[in-house]
Amino acid sequence: MPDVKHTASLLAIALLLILAQLRTAEAEDRLQVYAVNYPLAYFAERIAGDLAEVRFPAPADVDPAFWMPDADTITAYQAADLILLNGADYAKWIPKVSLPRSRLVDTSRGFKDAYIRQPAGVSHNHGPGGEHAHGGVAFTTWLDLSQAAQQAEAIAQALTRKRPAAKERIERNLQVLQSELLALNERIAEIAGANPGRPLLASHPIYQYLARRYGLNLRSVMWEPDVLPSERQWAELKGILSKHPAKWMLWEGTPAEENVARLRALGLASNVLDPCANRPETGDFLSVMSDNAKNLEQVFQ
Amino acid sequence: MIDSLYVAWRYVTFNWARSLTLIACVTLIAVLPLSLELLLDESERQLLARAETTPLIVGAKGSSLDLTMNSLYFGDTVPELISMAAVERVSETDLALPIPLSVRFQARGFRVVGTNLDYFDYRGLRIAEGRNLGLLGDCVLGARAAAELGLAPGDSLLSSPETLFDLAGVYPLKMRVAGVLAPTQSADDLAVFVDVKTAWVIQGLVHGHQDLRDVTDPTLVMDRSDGTVTATAKLAQYTEISPENIDSFHFHGSAADYPITSVIAVPRDEKAAAILRGRYVSVDAEAETQQILVPGEVIQDLLENIFRIKSVLDAVIVVVGTATVLALTLVFALSLRLRQREMQTNFKLGCSRATIARLLGAEIVIILTASALLTGLLLAMVTHYDEPLVRALFIH
Repeated sequence: MPDVKHTASLLAIALLLILAQLRTAEAEDRLQVYAVNYPLAYFAERIAGDLAEVRFPAPADVDPAFWMPDADTITAYQAADLILLNGADYAKWIPKVSLPRSRLVDTSRGFKDAYIRQPAGVSHNHGPGGEHAHGGVAFTTWLDLSQAAQQAEAIAQALTRKRPAAKERIERNLQVLQSELLALNERIAEIAGANPGRPLLASHPIYQYLARRYGLNLRSVMWEPDVLPSERQWAELKGILSKHPAKWMLWEGTPAEENVARLRALGLASNVLDPCANRPETGDFLSVMSDNAKNLEQVFQ
Repeated sequence: MIDSLYVAWRYVTFNWARSLTLIACVTLIAVLPLSLELLLDESERQLLARAETTPLIVGAKGSSLDLTMNSLYFGDTVPELISMAAVERVSETDLALPIPLSVRFQARGFRVVGTNLDYFDYRGLRIAEGRNLGLLGDCVLGARAAAELGLAPGDSLLSSPETLFDLAGVYPLKMRVAGVLAPTQSADDLAVFVDVKTAWVIQGLVHGHQDLRDVTDPTLVMDRSDGTVTATAKLAQYTEISPENIDSFHFHGSAADYPITSVIAVPRDEKAAAILRGRYVSVDAEAETQQILVPGEVIQDLLENIFRIKSVLDAVIVVVGTATVLALTLVFALSLRLRQREMQTNFKLGCSRATIARLLGAEIVIILTASALLTGLLLAMVTHYDEPLVRALFIH
């Protein structure tokens, strides 16, 4: 009898070892995917499931568009199987580092003709290049959720190229994600369509694609939610309001109480429209976008 | 026979100068064509090996040989430049992986090769010390370049101006040595690798400087109107990229317009290669400004030319060899006449004519044997050092 117990124990241990080995092999086989912002990381997580280990290493308190990774993080990006780029000049660190082109996925390449070009900034003249300006491209492409769906598709294609055997699974996950994104897209379009042309203000020029897609009559200032604007900025705001009588200001984050109170005195209510470029403290990309839609409902009532 | 060899050996060693001259002549006749053959075989192998592992090269129309030599061996002749749009053109076909190359600048006599990380993967280059390219301004040295320059990771290397008298040109860039590659016995050993964007910094197209909006020194600003700040030549650009100033480095215009020398295209398969080549055979050949090459074919043509030269060399060697053999025969004949009295003495001492002939034959055998041994030794040395010899003599 003890022999039987002994054999059973040995068999159980062997079985556990085999299972552990299989899990290790599976883990080793998982794609290493690095993203330059949270929306792309979220899309990749949803589409790849357990096919990939998706990483977005920017600290929680930075804007990923203007973040500069350290040497170790750059090395980690270099070693990834796929590096998901937003395109549209997003992540200003990309041109300043060396990354393997063969593993880069420009997720907005499919609609690059639809990029919104910003007015040129200060230009200057020196060196062999002649006169030149530092104009830019609006980069929060995912705030147009139909564009976000296209970016998700680009991620799915890149994952399929890497793991052709999992094509069906990837497509299935993509369809689910796209249907959720497009449903939200329709909902926001409906909300904005209830009161078209209503003048709105944005605290920061990051809602260009949102405004274009959903027909918002939006003008922007260059304010930060947690920084008190200078008197010159308040004067500029009053100048804008005289021609653009907005009743709401949209903030990328919760604004300081002083700002809210002073805006209220000017007849402006505040509301948050989080671009969700970085990982949210609670919820996920879709829940944040859903909250944005709720906030827009108040704005367009 | 042993006696004859002994007497012949004594004669050869007594007349050592004459014997050494004869051995040298015979050795040279044998060694020259054989070592040339060996070295040409090795150079063919080396040239073809690198060419055959590079499936396609895209570059400006012009000399296919210059384009191939510049792209494969980082040759001195810089082909006409193309733009990064050529990389996009290959990429958009989805038929091949494009690897840009910018091979035009130097750093302390070594070629600066601007490319991207795919080049390292493609050539199987391994970092022996330090790390790979990371930030703008980093460089990775080939094994021989690092050894000859005496540089290691953490050191700096200054780029050289394109021409000595380029006084109005851009400042040299102080590059950080990020790593050193393991030896590969190829042109990569002699290169200084940088990211292609760093090559543009060397050229002055990508640069960093004080933000002109913050400039307070009036001598730095020529004009300030309509949102345009025109700087004077006094505005200094940064000559070293550091974590403190990297944010000020910027591109002007579209990266697609930035120059490169060629693109290595790595097709998915043979069919993709054929389709890609077809894309460059335009109906309107005049309108097509780029060419796509199969480097193996270009190098094969080059080798065929080399072999035509080799057959001329062979003919020259045959003529010189024949003249030398005739001269040697004459030396032997004259030597026999000079040794008439010596042979008479041998005869009077009782040596038969056959014995005297055997003595002379033994001398010839000793000289030929010594030449054969020396030839074998020299050829063994050539075979052993053929790789570096070929690189020193033929492929730089």
